[in-house]
Amino acid sequence: MSRVIAFCFLLLAGVLGFLHIDSRPVWAPFEISATPIPDEDLTEGGSVTKVTQPNKSSVTYPQLNWLPDTGAASVHAASLIKLKDGSIRAFWFAGSREGAPDVVINSAVFDPKSEAWSAPSVVMDRVSAEKGLSRYIAKLGNPVSGRSADGRLQLFFVTVSLGGWAGSSISTISSDDEGVTWSIPHRLISSPFANISTLVKSPAIRFADGRLGLPAYHEWIGKFGEFLRIDAEGVIDKRRMSSGRNAIQPIVFPDSAEQATAYFRQTRGGLQAKQIPVSDTRNAGRTWSVVGDLEIPNPNSAITAVSLSNGTRLLVLNNLEDGRYRLVLLMSDANPSGALSQWQEVQVLENDEALPNERRREFSYPYLITGDGSDAHLVYTWDRKKIRHIYFSSAWLTQLQNGLKNKHKEDAQ
Amino acid sequence: MDHFVQVLALIEMSISTAVVLIWLSQTIFQFEIPLVGRMILLILLGNLCFWPLGLFMELPLAAYVRGVTGDLSIVSMLLLWSSLFPSNKCTPIAFKAGIAIIAIVFYPLALGLGMLDPYVWGYGSIGLLAGVLAFSIICSLANWNKGLWIIALAIIAWSFRWHESTNLWDYLLDPFLAGWAIFASVGAIYTKRRERVKSGYLFRAG
Repeated sequence: MSRVIAFCFLLLAGVLGFLHIDSRPVWAPFEISATPIPDEDLTEGGSVTKVTQPNKSSVTYPQLNWLPDTGAASVHAASLIKLKDGSIRAFWFAGSREGAPDVVINSAVFDPKSEAWSAPSVVMDRVSAEKGLSRYIAKLGNPVSGRSADGRLQLFFVTVSLGGWAGSSISTISSDDEGVTWSIPHRLISSPFANISTLVKSPAIRFADGRLGLPAYHEWIGKFGEFLRIDAEGVIDKRRMSSGRNAIQPIVFPDSAEQATAYFRQTRGGLQAKQIPVSDTRNAGRTWSVVGDLEIPNPNSAITAVSLSNGTRLLVLNNLEDGRYRLVLLMSDANPSGALSQWQEVQVLENDEALPNERRREFSYPYLITGDGSDAHLVYTWDRKKIRHIYFSSAWLTQLQNGLKNKHKEDAQ
Repeated sequence: MDHFVQVLALIEMSISTAVVLIWLSQTIFQFEIPLVGRMILLILLGNLCFWPLGLFMELPLAAYVRGVTGDLSIVSMLLLWSSLFPSNKCTPIAFKAGIAIIAIVFYPLALGLGMLDPYVWGYGSIGLLAGVLAFSIICSLANWNKGLWIIALAIIAWSFRWHESTNLWDYLLDPFLAGWAIFASVGAIYTKRRERVKSGYLFRAG
């Protein structure tokens, strides 16, 4: 009799489990909001301007700025998001050193009209995180923002309870007022081993159903990329983007509703190629394949990239095999045909190559977004002491595109 | 909902911590505490772990344990809690061996070996659900109904998102359950071999 009751209970559990699975949202295609716009500004035919660098008289050069100083000795891992009013909100962590208990996540807003940053505010500190998450938190790490299906601002950030960054988990908070106030945090569960070893660095992309696809990565036994599918409940699915111990911090370019390419920071050892690993998907992220390397040097340091609305892509990275003392901007052709599109170095942003080793500074953790689809905002860690903000205007980027197109024409002739 | 999930998780962790402490004290002092005593200790220690004590601590004791261990799976938790009761029957070695084999295959794949990630199945695979139901039926047919009840409760907890996780694996398996199953299975094999050697089967006349 007790066995019959037990079987009935199991049947109930099975039915509930099946209903739960059946209620899951179907996997949606990527949202492709950026519609290609005609390149009216690009010179065609005989009147080709044979310059790669912009003409100083006609365009605004990149505007250099700093994120507001918080007085902290060490700052790192800045990220950006465009707000509904067109301003740009930045998040970064600051403290006495990376991984210290006093590290907090700061935020400030850039007003494009006044070209100034607001005073910084603290979005999250260690004690608030552990009280909200009801568990001990030893330190905070990378913050990355996105916009959830209901339009709220969402911030994903790394927390560690035990050990180094290998013990990381991702937590999230959301805001109804564009980052002025925030909800209590909740934890994203993405790993079966005490939920450790998942980190985030790159911007989330959106699916057509409004849910977010968050590129994440593991950094413990394996070092590989993962693509988390997220809604208000938390992680509702995920897919592996690479395997082994050689690729972290994926950055995803949706090429179409079903296709996307991901570039990684390489973490290879020994004599293996210090280049950017690449994966791609042809079914909106349901499966990923490793497709080889992009032949651009990468010294195991973070990269960032963004697609402009005309299809042009920008990439910022340390194009070195060792060190982080040189940071460059690369640009690829509009409407690339394949996963491994052609990249050209168009601007050196920082370069301490001429200095002796001990005096070289670190320029790392770049993060790019576009404000209106034709311009770009870049932030990066400047010697761990400050966060540099550079604004690339649409006119300046268009000049670079013209130069690039002309160069291709010359090469073709 | 989030607040409810957090409070529930802390209650569970407080009870689990109390049970472990009771088990440790019994093991260390080689003394079996009567059931009433265990229940009183469970209430005392559970409350001690759950409520914020202040002093130098920012959180309740259970939150510190949770920070390190994460949430235990429902299967782990119920097996652990049931060990307090005198009617508790020893978990069958076949169940332990089954969990051990699953864990040995599952964890390396789920933690990055190759492109196949079985953890993904836990988000909504009918195949995994069917496999888990079959496993629990086998437990019952092997005369261990408790296994069926525990697994059924784990599936129901997942359906209602009792914990933070939305993944069925997190309700069924955790590293502590895996470690226990692997050690118990290895121990059982070792004991069996010793018994066979002691029985002198190797030197028996053919």
